[in-house]
Amino acid sequence: MLKEQIENILLKVRNPSRYIGGELNSVVKDKSKVDVRFAFCFPDSYDVGMSHLGMKILYSLKNKRENFWCERVFAPWEDMEALMRENNIPLYALESLDPVKEFDFIGFTIQYELCYTNILNMLDLAGLPVKAKDRTEDMPIVVAGGPCVCNPEPLADFIDIFILGEGEEVNLELMDLYAEMKKRGCSKREFLSEAAKIEGIYVPSFYDVSYNNDGTVAAVLPNHPNASAKIRKRIIKYLDSIYYPESFVVPYCEIVHDRAVVEVMRGCIRGCRFCQAGFIYRPLREKSSETICSQTRSLCESTGYEEVSLSSLSTSDLSSIDETLIKLSEYTDGEKINLSLPSMRIDRFSNELMERLKAIRKSGLTFAPEAGTQRLRDVINKNITEDEIMRACRIAFEGGYTSVKLYFMMGLPTEKDEDIIGIAELAEKIVDLYYQNPNRPKGRHVSISVSCATFVPKPFTPFEFEPQASAEEIDRRQKLLLESIRSKKRINVSWHNYKVSILEAVLAKGDRRLGEVIYEAWKSGCKFDSWSEFYRYELWVKAFEKAGLDMDFYAHRKRSYDEVMPWQHLDYYISREFLIREHKKALNAETTPNCREKCSGCGISAAMGGACFGKN
Amino acid sequence: MEKIDVRAVFSKSGRAIFISHLDLQRTMQRALKRSGLPVWYSQGFNPHIYLNFPLALSLGISSCTEFMDFSVTEEIDFEKAREKLDLAMPDGISVIKLAEPVHKNQDIGFAEYEMKFYGGSPDEMLEGLEKMMSMETIETEKHSKSKGIVKIDIRPHIEILNAEACGDHLFLTVKLPAGGSLNINANVFADAFSDVSGIEFKSICIERTKILCKNGEKFI
Ligand code: SF4
Repeated sequence: MLKEQIENILLKVRNPSRYIGGELNSVVKDKSKVDVRFAFCFPDSYDVGMSHLGMKILYSLKNKRENFWCERVFAPWEDMEALMRENNIPLYALESLDPVKEFDFIGFTIQYELCYTNILNMLDLAGLPVKAKDRTEDMPIVVAGGPCVCNPEPLADFIDIFILGEGEEVNLELMDLYAEMKKRGCSKREFLSEAAKIEGIYVPSFYDVSYNNDGTVAAVLPNHPNASAKIRKRIIKYLDSIYYPESFVVPYCEIVHDRAVVEVMRGCIRGCRFCQAGFIYRPLREKSSETICSQTRSLCESTGYEEVSLSSLSTSDLSSIDETLIKLSEYTDGEKINLSLPSMRIDRFSNELMERLKAIRKSGLTFAPEAGTQRLRDVINKNITEDEIMRACRIAFEGGYTSVKLYFMMGLPTEKDEDIIGIAELAEKIVDLYYQNPNRPKGRHVSISVSCATFVPKPFTPFEFEPQASAEEIDRRQKLLLESIRSKKRINVSWHNYKVSILEAVLAKGDRRLGEVIYEAWKSGCKFDSWSEFYRYELWVKAFEKAGLDMDFYAHRKRSYDEVMPWQHLDYYISREFLIREHKKALNAETTPNCREKCSGCGISAAMGGACFGKN
Repeated sequence: MEKIDVRAVFSKSGRAIFISHLDLQRTMQRALKRSGLPVWYSQGFNPHIYLNFPLALSLGISSCTEFMDFSVTEEIDFEKAREKLDLAMPDGISVIKLAEPVHKNQDIGFAEYEMKFYGGSPDEMLEGLEKMMSMETIETEKHSKSKGIVKIDIRPHIEILNAEACGDHLFLTVKLPAGGSLNINANVFADAFSDVSGIEFKSICIERTKILCKNGEKFI
């Protein structure tokens, strides 16, 4: 039994309750009575992974099936990993404390590119070869899903099966197939062949990639009779009737988002051109206010949480938002539960909304204009005007707020110096606005924080053709921004580390050859790359050199409209023609109306029986 | 609004011993909320469930006698309420009893622990204990919020109530000062024992079995 060994090291690590399971609502079954055991791995720390909604949904969904047992696994923090390796404790799952090596499936959810090395590290810690081809019959099937799987090519060497799109149905289909074939004593290869027939299932070893002399992809072709030329993502048509957990596992230690979460919509109507989520999660589907209310109730009752948040890409776009908030607050006010609405759009920010959302008081206000001038906001299709930004800030200041946080991106396509100066000017105008308010709190100054991320072009967006701005250029623009700010005491500027953004760009748009780079980087000690205290850019540079590959080729090269993308064989319903149309419009600073106003023909309505919104 | 004080006695064992004191407070607030009892909330802009823990328990130690105070807004049947609260608890925490509080936090003077030490031979361990108890002083370091690290001599405060070698382990019952004026953590005793005896224990299990008032009465 691992349990004793684990308990003996737990008092030597930080936050030991992360490593021993037993949390409220965690699901423990009798392993002799289940057909399929699934180790659901989040390739980051417990605190981050336990905050993730997708994992909670699939965990409950699988465990609802009597013959399946799904358990949770997170990447142990450095101190714990060292002790585990020292004491020969392999990676284990939190419910049974059994080694994940004994499971039928190991499944990763891949939420961001910078967790790739953690996937390798977890497989290794489990005592498994990291490369799929080196894993034998008796070892678990390794699957992966999540947004990054829309271009999973850099991970193709390590994963047996990628699951494209929304997981509720396809995960169960895959496990059912497995249970049936396991009983018949089929081999892993036979299982993969059958699985490849399921829509949404991509078996990377069933495809060969060829390259042109210039290093671009020539073709991705199936090498197996059951592998189709294109693999389509899965979509859940009706969100209102799809399974949603009645309870969440409630952690003991504090995690990033420690609250009940009700998913109210999937997809987004806005079509911001930089936003991958806005394209790969299409189309928009909503839950009714009745469903939202009853799910809120059961979650709060089963967890005892004092905060619930309504989650989606853009919650203020929920068509029943006003009605829902009124109904919900009847319940939450009575139970002294805080209601929070992340992802609010500036143009929907109203007095009434602010009053209702006591919870945002704690965190302060954040808005995301993304770009400093109207022209550039039109380029990225962020349909927000300066007036709307100022109006939202005025409401906030009149409501007693003294600080506002603004998010921008730097290095956007077509960006010019005046757009950078525009960021400074916008911040200055907000400072002035504060001091124009005669009722501002006495003696309190305003504080505006401007946070700039470097733009990362992503697959399945109209900007997938775009190069990322170079390090020198970003550096120059950052200096320009600093010089353009006059109220240095009131405006605080910060940015993300460029060396992180470039790796993100490379991995996001990379091809299969990057598998070698990821392997080398991990071998040389890279892990937890999204944590600044762990990130080792120089090791990545060395890994690229060793593999004979060039970061610039992936991050800083413009793609032509007819280039074969490494992810071209994956079908997210978003057509290349649509992306080209949108890209051209972007270059002309032409906006595209949101999907409720007018369908712009992205291609996904095919999956919804012709139209996303009844009439269009 | 009426405010009636309630004292819960609970046990903490199994996986729950790794819940830190800070995390236990959150855990208990949520359990109270789930229980559906008419719990009293602090007034003000951000109302919270009021909780008082008369004596904190260190990480890694189990206990069959922990206390937690909260308040309710109406009379409750203690036994029925205990059942409800117990049902709302996570694995490893059981509610043993609800009652009106009698003593105050500052009445607490001592706590008793049962400890099992594995990893040395019985003779070696008993010898080590004798050696420890024959010492005049045992200097240990203690972290204090106000004074940083302070040295204290724990020897005069240790009372061994029972010591037996039981097959593969040494079984000790130890009484240590507890509470606001002087608190000696059972882990500090165990570390000192390991230091003095020179035995590297494979594992040490500690359970708190009693909380006593300064005058020797059981804390209730
Ligand atoms: S098909 Fe039309 S309405 Fe549907 S998501 Fe695409 S653009 Fe929007």
